[in-house]
Amino acid sequence: MQQQAEITKTPASTTAPTEDEAPALPPLRPALFARYTDLESLRYDYPLVLLETGDGGPLFRPLSRIVDDVLSVAAPPDASGEAMRQQVLRLEARIRRNVALGREGMLSDLWQDNATRMVKESGQSPFGSLGTNLDIARKRLTLDGVVIGCDHTTPGKVVTHTWRAKQNAKARRFRRKVEGLILRLTDILKSDHMKSDEAHSAGALASAMGQDQDSSIDFGSLSRILDRARPEDRLPEDRVRRIKTALEALQCQPFFGPGRATEICRRRPAPYSYTFDSCAAALDALRERLPAILEFTKAVTIAELEVENKYRPDLHDPIFETFDVSDLTADQMELLPGSLILLHDGVTESAEIARAFEALAGGLQITVLIQVDDILGPTSPEPPRNSFGAGTARLASMAMGLNNAFVLQASSAHLYRMQEAFQRGIQHQGPALFSIYSGATRTVPGVPPYVLSAAATESRAFPNFTYDPSAGSDLAARFNLAHNPQVGVDWPEHRLDYETADGERQSEALPFTFADFAIGDVRYQRFCHPAAQDDWTPDMVPFGQAGSGPGAKDRIPEPYVLGLTPENGLLRVGVDDKIVQAAARCNDAWRRLQELAGINNSHALRLLSEERKNREASAIEIAAALPTADATPALPEAPPSPVQLAQEPAPEPTGDDPWIETARCTTCKECTQINSALFKFDENMQAYIADPDAGTYRQIVEAAESCQVSIIHPGQPRNLEEADLDELRERAKPFL
Amino acid sequence: MNASMSQCLMQMVHTDYVIADYQSEIAPRWCTGCGDTAILTAMQRLCRDEQLPPEKTVCVSGIGCASRLPHYMNAYGFHGIHGRALPVAEGIKIRRPDLNVFVTTGDGDCCSIGAAHWLHAIRYNMNMTLLLHDNNVYGLTKKQASPTSPQGMKSNTTPFGATLNPLNPLTVTLGVSNVSFVAQAVDWIPDLLYDILRQAYHHKGFSFVRILQRCPNFMEHRFDDWVRDPSKMRILTHANGLRLKPEVSRVYKNQETHDPLDMPRALALAALKEEIPVGILYRDPTVPCYDELRAGERPSTPGLVELVLNEEFDKVGIWPAETAPAAAGE
Ligand SMILES: Cc1ncc(C[n+]2csc(CCOP(=O)(O)OP(=O)(O)O)c2C)c(N)n1
Ligand code: SF4
Ligand SMILES: [Mg+2]
Repeated sequence: MQQQAEITKTPASTTAPTEDEAPALPPLRPALFARYTDLESLRYDYPLVLLETGDGGPLFRPLSRIVDDVLSVAAPPDASGEAMRQQVLRLEARIRRNVALGREGMLSDLWQDNATRMVKESGQSPFGSLGTNLDIARKRLTLDGVVIGCDHTTPGKVVTHTWRAKQNAKARRFRRKVEGLILRLTDILKSDHMKSDEAHSAGALASAMGQDQDSSIDFGSLSRILDRARPEDRLPEDRVRRIKTALEALQCQPFFGPGRATEICRRRPAPYSYTFDSCAAALDALRERLPAILEFTKAVTIAELEVENKYRPDLHDPIFETFDVSDLTADQMELLPGSLILLHDGVTESAEIARAFEALAGGLQITVLIQVDDILGPTSPEPPRNSFGAGTARLASMAMGLNNAFVLQASSAHLYRMQEAFQRGIQHQGPALFSIYSGATRTVPGVPPYVLSAAATESRAFPNFTYDPSAGSDLAARFNLAHNPQVGVDWPEHRLDYETADGERQSEALPFTFADFAIGDVRYQRFCHPAAQDDWTPDMVPFGQAGSGPGAKDRIPEPYVLGLTPENGLLRVGVDDKIVQAAARCNDAWRRLQELAGINNSHALRLLSEERKNREASAIEIAAALPTADATPALPEAPPSPVQLAQEPAPEPTGDDPWIETARCTTCKECTQINSALFKFDENMQAYIADPDAGTYRQIVEAAESCQVSIIHPGQPRNLEEADLDELRERAKPFL
Repeated sequence: MNASMSQCLMQMVHTDYVIADYQSEIAPRWCTGCGDTAILTAMQRLCRDEQLPPEKTVCVSGIGCASRLPHYMNAYGFHGIHGRALPVAEGIKIRRPDLNVFVTTGDGDCCSIGAAHWLHAIRYNMNMTLLLHDNNVYGLTKKQASPTSPQGMKSNTTPFGATLNPLNPLTVTLGVSNVSFVAQAVDWIPDLLYDILRQAYHHKGFSFVRILQRCPNFMEHRFDDWVRDPSKMRILTHANGLRLKPEVSRVYKNQETHDPLDMPRALALAALKEEIPVGILYRDPTVPCYDELRAGERPSTPGLVELVLNEEFDKVGIWPAETAPAAAGE
């Protein structure tokens, strides 16, 4: 709310008549609403385009930003560009008007449609400047998706879109994995088939050559040459059966629909639906689908073992025979689609909300939307939901206590600025709760849902926050309150410019409080006491400042907030205890959130002061203990030397025994061919002397001579009876 | 839970492959004393130490003595056509990235008839290991000069001596864009051969290992000077480079610390004439791999391949209006 309000006391009205008959305005509205009576002329976060993008891309983007992106590349920054800018902005305004009237659709269609109409209405030819410029701009439009407005359907649409994006990403991962396994299992069966008589038959060989029957090849003879199918080359029968069963389960899975070019098995049922409007229905479905989930999960696991050739019937058969729910792991469930449960406060029965909590706590793969249309709830006399703090609006704060669920609370007006949080919600691998205030409160007639939902966040009645358990192990990483206005204070402050009865301009900084938010609700108007400017008295104190100011003690202060008549006349609205107490509860809840976010955290402040004291004390101790002489500087580390294995070198035998430098043996087999009992290969296929007495000295000397790397050392003869020893000793000399 | 159920179940299966598990039924038909034997042994040691399942390992070769290696390995193998081992290996890797792909090739197979594939394989940098058995000769066809034969070498095709300076496979490889791993080994220091292969296997990308290999039959005494004089072998070491066993270090004392990212020094070492450098000349693990860059969102099932091809054909097809193919949606 940065714009300056222009408020006049005269009912000359800033409300532009809309095409639709606008519902009557409530008798009272917060003063800050004055500037938002004509939303259609503003370029704000709506219409919002729900983008059709792949993994990790942005989920949504306001139409106005998309148009700015287009213009920044399509319109030259000079006068010619200015014409295009004006034309495209007119087109944007037209689309905005259309969406406000409920005509939602794909951006590309809306653009095309409105552009054609604009050109037609202008009387220009389609090739005139308007048609050409709109066309150039359209070609720069790279994003597309459904364009939506801000109304009571928005939370459902945005959360469904987010959930779909997550499911689409999952579907891609699922198909990559499952189709990969199908391909590999099929390959195994195919290669087994290639070893069969059937695959070697003349007919099979002929058809392998293609349709063009070539009579120059005698497939009969070819078949006879190839006909060497051996039973021992084939896969064991039980393995083939196992692979076929797994293959069928993978091909007929009912969880995701087929992708492009997925081969569809005839037995395949229609894929399951995963959106529900009650937890009961979602849990029933899960129970019903459990056998299919088990069958499929088993098949995936078996397939993974099979493609790695790691299935051992003796080890694994017993495990798969008793495979049941208790064997399902989180990562197996993560492969399958999650459920979306859309709950609507005031529409869904309240027992469902409690069930949602149970389901979330159970860690199931579910995304729950609780749409809130009414934060304040009915006032007395109906207990227990007679005022702020007791309604569904607090559920998100409570859900943080579940600890494993991703929680996002936001008002419709702020969804775009929470986009990153939505993205994280998609990435979160567990249950998620989205609590969204639509702003479509029936008891605040005439105020657009966008304005009312923004006001709910401003007034701290419905703060924006996220709790992301996967972001880290502590609150600081998990909890985020940053997407609220002026997050450090109780109530955010805004400047209001107005004109007094005498035409004098006034400017005031005003907090926007829970009381401001409440006065627009017709149910609360009996707790409000409006006073026109002539009736303002010094006892009136702005709400939030009551109890302070000069003479506060003597008089009973009358807290007020600034309000507007339907004609935009400025009023002070005295608020009585009912509203003051509700505001106090609201403020209390806000301060608790602030503490969670580390703002004015009482523990932290206390620890900080203790820590400061400790540090001062230990600094004194350290200073006292320091030696006076300089410490010896550490020696620089020696540069790394060539890596040597830590082990000791094998001792170099020096005696008379023959030996081989085994580590240098090249496996040339010269020595083993001379005598394979004397010379043997070790586990590395390198030679050593296995038994010096298994051969003659002559053989050892000859081996030494023929060894190309000269690593055989003959030593001295062991059998002194052997012939020609003198000659052999002479020949052995170079190798000793 | 960190490991998935299938991972846990797979861990139940204990493998203990020994060298014999990688030896095929066929006994090697290389000449006695041929350096190829040492290369085969180093390969089998590597498979054993890394416990590579034989069914997850493929050796692809062209034609030549060196190219007979796949027959002797108990693993998948493809004894292909002369010079064409690399395109086959690339096809295998693209379709089955889970397999460990080794290419064994000779100096004729790789640097002569297969030279074009060699250059592009370096540039593609796909995750596989190439073993160039360089005996400086065509062995299988009984002594013809190869591109790496020394100048003046008399052979059946060069009776008056080879005319040209030999091609240096190391400097050529180092000069190709996207080069990511270049090493040199010699068959007569098997421990270093093994260690270089181990590092090549662990490198993500195309690992080029040139192995100087003795052919006692047609290139007798070619490397004798270096085999007999360990001081003429320059061993390249580095903090995380070769692991030198003390027995080896004791014999091969001529060592140089070389940073595998130092390309100018790598080129200088590769061009050494008197000494033979052994070790990792160049290694850059950050070079992108073609197989990873091209890994699709989805496995290319026969159905998907057919659909995409048909869509492409339909773009240029001419259809009578009423039979136009429906746009295939998601
Ligand atoms: C297309 C083709 N051309 C020529 C040959 C003949 N040929 C067979 S092996 C070979 C050279 C092999 O040399 P190298 O790759 O160095 O292997 P080595 O035998 O030395 O290990 C040649 C030219 C062939 N098999 N195919
Ligand atoms: S000819 Fe040479 S390369 Fe071929 S097997 Fe014999 S020694 Fe080895
Ligand atoms: Mg060769």
